[in-house]
Amino acid sequence: MTVLILTCEEDVTADMVVVHLNASGIPVVRLDPADLTGGVALSGEYVHGSFHGHLSAGDRLVDLAGLRSVWVRRPGAPAARAAHPSAWLTEESSQALYGMLRSTGARWMNPPDAAHRARQKPWQLRLAQRCGLPVPATLITTFPPAAREFAERYPDLVVKPVSGAHPQDPPRAVPTSRVAPETDFSAVAYGPTLLQRRIAKRADIRLTVVGDRLLAARKPAAPEADADEVDVRFARSASPWLAAEVPPRVAVAVRAYVRAAGLAYGAFDFAEDAEGVWWFLECNQSGQFGFVEVDTGQPIARTIAGWLAEPAAEEPVCVGGADTMVS
Amino acid sequence: MQPFALNYARPARESEASTPYAYDSGLQLNVLLDGRMAACDHTLLRELGTTTSTAGSKTHFDD
Repeated sequence: MTVLILTCEEDVTADMVVVHLNASGIPVVRLDPADLTGGVALSGEYVHGSFHGHLSAGDRLVDLAGLRSVWVRRPGAPAARAAHPSAWLTEESSQALYGMLRSTGARWMNPPDAAHRARQKPWQLRLAQRCGLPVPATLITTFPPAAREFAERYPDLVVKPVSGAHPQDPPRAVPTSRVAPETDFSAVAYGPTLLQRRIAKRADIRLTVVGDRLLAARKPAAPEADADEVDVRFARSASPWLAAEVPPRVAVAVRAYVRAAGLAYGAFDFAEDAEGVWWFLECNQSGQFGFVEVDTGQPIARTIAGWLAEPAAEEPVCVGGADTMVS
Repeated sequence: MQPFALNYARPARESEASTPYAYDSGLQLNVLLDGRMAACDHTLLRELGTTTSTAGSKTHFDD
């Protein structure tokens, strides 16, 4: 049975997993939904109470009944590179592709509904709280007085995008940034603003979860680090990521989080404070992992390949109003 | 006025350098000019930062 990988061609991180699948003799079909209806084609038939479908990419053809798993890595928008792309064609292609794939018994990393929900940072914060992870005091608001009052209670704040998305017109990045004392919060009225108590961190933690496996890495903060450089993605650091042990209480809480979120994969970011507490910042449901493996040598790609290679679930059918399994 | 968070925006870092590998649709992998698989050259991946968590990506925000 085949592993289907949905990602762009330049995704060399996905390559790290393909290498392991190839070594294990697991058939792989890799395609970018953006290439519908050029190099990628699909067909599915719902006839006489059954479903049969096929996907092709280049010269590869896969029977959808033969899929063991689907890895949603870095796919482009369906049909984005079609001869005549349009929002309508993208929606048509998205529903055709993902609807058919969801008609199979393939396992997902990650299931589309779970992935969609898991991207929402406010939901992440609440789930983390419920699972017992320490969450820095956070306010998301469009009320300037609420922001001012929060800043009085927590004078050392950072601001970050609610969605994690970045504006594209023109292309800009919005890193997690320290908010200066006496800042004017009136612009909070013009967009939801996420303010969070700054954690004086002694290290950044990236905890990668694959199925039930936890792989943690730690990057110590440089002693001379500028306290205003909050975002590890922008901070200059000569220190590599180092493999780290996961505190048992964190492991229990993180496993509860991914179980409740319905995720097979998640990349958690924590800030470790001076007392060694891991403060939850976010969980990226499709977060990068290659840079951690390159530094630490942790077998993340091999673990993902192992998860993807497990047999597919049996196709659920509805009998008498209840979900059951065909045996 | 612009939203508060955009007061902290900075120009996105778009990589100008081309990668020394290209996708091989037969192998379904990116391959270096000498035929080796790019994913197996960790030194190169570290230098290029192509597997790194970044901010400001045009299409992907799950870092």
